[in-house]
Amino acid sequence: MAKDVMTTESYISHHLTNLTCGKTPEGWTCDPYKVEQMGFWAFHVDSLFWSIFLGALFIVIFKTAMPKNISASSPPTGMQNFIEMCIEFVEDNVQSLFGSVKNTLIAPLALTVFVWILLMNLMDLVPVDFLPVLAGHIAYAVAGSGADGSGVAWITSPDSFYFKVVPTTDPNITLGMAFAVFILTIYYSITVKGFKNFIAELTLHPFGKWLMPVNFILEMVNFIAKPISLGLRLFGNLYAGEMIFILIALMLFFSSIPVGMLGFGLHLIWALFHILIVALQAFIFMALTIAYLAMAHETEEH
Amino acid sequence: MNINATLLAQAIVMIVFVAICWRYIYPPILAVMQEREKKISDGLEAAKKADDSLEEAQLAFNQELDKAKAEAAELIDKANQRSSQIVGDAKSKAQDEAEKILAAAAKTIENETNKAKEELKSKMSEIIIDTTQKILDQEISSEKHDELLKKAAAEL
Repeated sequence: MAKDVMTTESYISHHLTNLTCGKTPEGWTCDPYKVEQMGFWAFHVDSLFWSIFLGALFIVIFKTAMPKNISASSPPTGMQNFIEMCIEFVEDNVQSLFGSVKNTLIAPLALTVFVWILLMNLMDLVPVDFLPVLAGHIAYAVAGSGADGSGVAWITSPDSFYFKVVPTTDPNITLGMAFAVFILTIYYSITVKGFKNFIAELTLHPFGKWLMPVNFILEMVNFIAKPISLGLRLFGNLYAGEMIFILIALMLFFSSIPVGMLGFGLHLIWALFHILIVALQAFIFMALTIAYLAMAHETEEH
Repeated sequence: MNINATLLAQAIVMIVFVAICWRYIYPPILAVMQEREKKISDGLEAAKKADDSLEEAQLAFNQELDKAKAEAAELIDKANQRSSQIVGDAKSKAQDEAEKILAAAAKTIENETNKAKEELKSKMSEIIIDTTQKILDQEISSEKHDELLKKAAAEL
């Protein structure tokens, strides 16, 4: 794609393509030209890398910032204050949505989801070209194919190495998290309500037992729509935000100087506005996760 | 942009992170926060208790002070009474002593006077007899006028 001259189209597609590794008939490869052959069993290595890296960052920060021994005698300072603020924020939200039901998993789940998604969304504020270009050059320097045929064959230039930075602009990541929440929802629906009640909830509403198939279809749509909308909402918001960053960046590269200057201003304004989206979408994902799990715990028939 | 196995991988990664957070991250933080909360509420309660006991102690202190003041006043009163009593006693004793001394002196004076009078009486009769003898030139014998002389002595 972006082999010789960079065009608007190649620039955008370069930013929207993941580094995909998967199994082809010839073996495992990350060659972007063989993605079609990989089928389902392919992995977006860049998204997963950032996702795991940021998740680990969350774990490390929350583990190391707290005092080692539980002696609450010293007043909390610095990072510990921030962490306790996060915990209290999550506890408040869980309390308001979950009420009296006691489930020790919900609050840690909500905390993980919130902080993790917040960190992943924040990657959107790193200038769009910075990490992809850096990664491309590093990859080319380390494993680029030279004229003598050494190195990895498909890394023919820094531009041929794709590296997408924001994991939440990858629908696989957001839907993957929504899927995990969905599994938890089913698990708690069955364990809390019992399998019979769970099935009854899906089949006996809203028309009574004589229209069971219709009920099932309607409830199933409702049931499946929850995780899909949960994942796609996050993906859509962040993807759109990323897209606008890319388009503003294009103003700097492919236009006259005045338009480029305008692009600088727009970049700043959009970045400031995007901070709001970053935090808001993380919060919405957390709140909906809690809400769906709260629904799974509701034993009362409506 | 394809949906592929990344989705499953991410779901597994998420479950792993949530499990780590659930198992190792969240409970210690919550425990620290709850422990501190308890400590603070305990501290506030203790402070309130201390305040109450301070008030009580102040009250008791004031009571003791009042009591001590009253006692001291009583003691001073008693001491005053006692001192005036002692002074009075001493005065009356001294007066008695003085009277006694006076009485003794008066008695001694009287005795001395009586003695002197007796001496004077006996001396006087001798002198009179001597004088009378000289005047009468031995005409009157002492035997003859013994009765007269005795009479004169008794009259003196």
